[in-house]
Amino acid sequence: MNSGFWKAVVLVAAWCAVAPALAQDSDRSRYYIQQMIDLAATHDETGVTAMQRMLEQEPKPPPRDPAAAREALQRGQAALRADDLNAALTAFQQASDNDPGNADAVNHLGLIERKLGRLPDAERALQRALALEPTRASAWFQLAQVYGLSEDNRRARGALANTYRFAQNPMRAEEILRNIAESEASDTLRTAALEALRLYQLPVEAVIVPPMPANPGIVPLKTTPAPRQKP
Amino acid sequence: MIHRFAPLALLALLALLALLAGPLPASAGQYETLDYHIQQMIAQAAANDEAGVQTFREQLDNLRRPEAGDPVQSRPLFQQGQEYLNHDQLKEALSAFRQAFITDPADAEIAGQLGLTYLRLRRMKEAERLLVYALALAPARSASWLHLGQVYGQSGDTARAAGAFANAYRFAPDRSRLAGQLRQLATTDPADAVRAGAQRALQPTQPLPTPTAKPGSAANLPPPTASAPVPAQPAAPAPTAPTITDPAPSSTPPASGVLLDSLRRGLSSLAKPADTAPPAAGSRSIPTAGEQPGQQIYRSSLPRTCLIVTFRRGKTDSLGSGLLVSADGLVVTNHHVIENADNLAVKCGERESVARVSRRSKEPDLALLTTTLNRAESFVLNEAYSPDLIGLEVFVIGNPYGLEGTFSTGVISGLREIDGVRYFQISAPISPGNSGGPVILRDGSVIGIATMGLKKGQNLNFAIAAAELIHSGLFDPARMKMSTAQGKGR
Repeated sequence: MNSGFWKAVVLVAAWCAVAPALAQDSDRSRYYIQQMIDLAATHDETGVTAMQRMLEQEPKPPPRDPAAAREALQRGQAALRADDLNAALTAFQQASDNDPGNADAVNHLGLIERKLGRLPDAERALQRALALEPTRASAWFQLAQVYGLSEDNRRARGALANTYRFAQNPMRAEEILRNIAESEASDTLRTAALEALRLYQLPVEAVIVPPMPANPGIVPLKTTPAPRQKP
Repeated sequence: MIHRFAPLALLALLALLALLAGPLPASAGQYETLDYHIQQMIAQAAANDEAGVQTFREQLDNLRRPEAGDPVQSRPLFQQGQEYLNHDQLKEALSAFRQAFITDPADAEIAGQLGLTYLRLRRMKEAERLLVYALALAPARSASWLHLGQVYGQSGDTARAAGAFANAYRFAPDRSRLAGQLRQLATTDPADAVRAGAQRALQPTQPLPTPTAKPGSAANLPPPTASAPVPAQPAAPAPTAPTITDPAPSSTPPASGVLLDSLRRGLSSLAKPADTAPPAAGSRSIPTAGEQPGQQIYRSSLPRTCLIVTFRRGKTDSLGSGLLVSADGLVVTNHHVIENADNLAVKCGERESVARVSRRSKEPDLALLTTTLNRAESFVLNEAYSPDLIGLEVFVIGNPYGLEGTFSTGVISGLREIDGVRYFQISAPISPGNSGGPVILRDGSVIGIATMGLKKGQNLNFAIAAAELIHSGLFDPARMKMSTAQGKGR
């Protein structure tokens, strides 16, 4: 028996201990996803794969109205292209309600929530998408951005590591990660990308001076009296 | 509850057992597969095994192709990257080619040019990966073989350089031109293994396909010509000897033109890492006929003006401005810019360095930083401070809110002494992030250090007089350039 086997057995044993406390399927799925993130952050390939397989065993919700879901999904994508985020959000919610097992709809929902800055909602939606399809690299990437915006370095690193792991084109994913590691203004995301690349022993150069934010957030001059203000 | 989950646990255990015997995910090892085939093509080429090269090329052709992206979006980015590359703006080229590659990762030309950009940035590992990937997409792309050969040569691997160069020749659409490029590499490249690899690929004793034959048939390369002889043993050229980084132009220009062009490109490819490279912006400081004084000041000041980023508990904390005041990389800024920092980084023009606080003073609000920016162009400090200066035009350059290199202008509005420190009151707009940046007269000398502003009112800003810096004892005046000129009519 190899060490991977015993590691997997330990994971199952740990799961058996935790599982009774998880009352609902969604809780259980979230637990698996968090495990995938944690294990990816420490480059535990066997553990990530084990949790992925557990997720794949979970029952998927049946569609209620697949045709309506498809129509709503298309409507949402058109609204997204037109940058109408509120319309897109409504449409993707409808698509998800009509077909709760449609990972595409839930993934788009997470994307819109993130764009709207609703990070807890975005995290929930993206975790739902990943519960339906644990190998969806784009959902891992979105989730990494949510964690980056939440300044959660460890989880951003784990999610980015899974982005690379499940990417259809690893060279493209590698270049995306390098781009973030060298050009991203957010410290958390930049550092997470750097660490994710190093987990996979991929070449990258750490920046000395971090890139400046694209939008520095210039504000109007305040009117409060201040005889000496240091810029 | 335990009963409810027990069957699931059993299922999970079974799934795990199946998993442990199962295959790796589809993406794992993808690059290794491509690299294996490319390395085989190199090895077969080095052994002059025609059939072997062909076999592995066909195997590569049979591998699953990456999903195509969007050429409509990627091509303009590619053209932009080419423009930057032609002008040796390598960081900008990298950014443009990266975006193009992310948009369409199935375009071998984009991947190849991204690899070339990494090569010119001397990032050999990234260059190798991208060029291997580009060749997996298009195994007969001669330019990528040539660049991959240079990567191996610059990494000291003569054998692989020779094999890659041999494939560059094998697949070249214009073999005489490629042979010329190899001869140039064999004679002038500063890296021993590049010269040796190119020379080995040119060896007439090791037959390679004839120029007339279709790729894949055996023949010799043309021998070195009298005008570009290949030495029996490669002689080490001067460190500034040229390196070919691009395919040569299709029509051969005069020898001196080739040398100059090649030298220019070679110098660029020899660029040092970011913290030691000569300032790219320095070349922009040469005044151009017809320029306004402000434009000249901006061009000459930009590479000497610094962005200062402070870090606290491992994260970016704040930013400010600074100015280079000595040729050995001393940077002056305000004390309040750096006072809470655990670590510091500076970027002056295009050059970056970590920094350390050498001296600091709260009154006057100044700090001196040491950096690794040697051979820096520094500002001349002007110690003039008199009412005669009021009304003179001043220029301010800095990084307000992170807007790097922001240039503004105004006049000296007055002289103020605050808590015993001499200040110039200036009308040039400054904002948070300008702190520590230079206030410059028309002659290019620095009259003050932008420090603070009065938010009540408009353009009521203050710069510590350079005279305070000169006499502060922060550093040895012998290390800085000084002037007492009034900045009039210059």
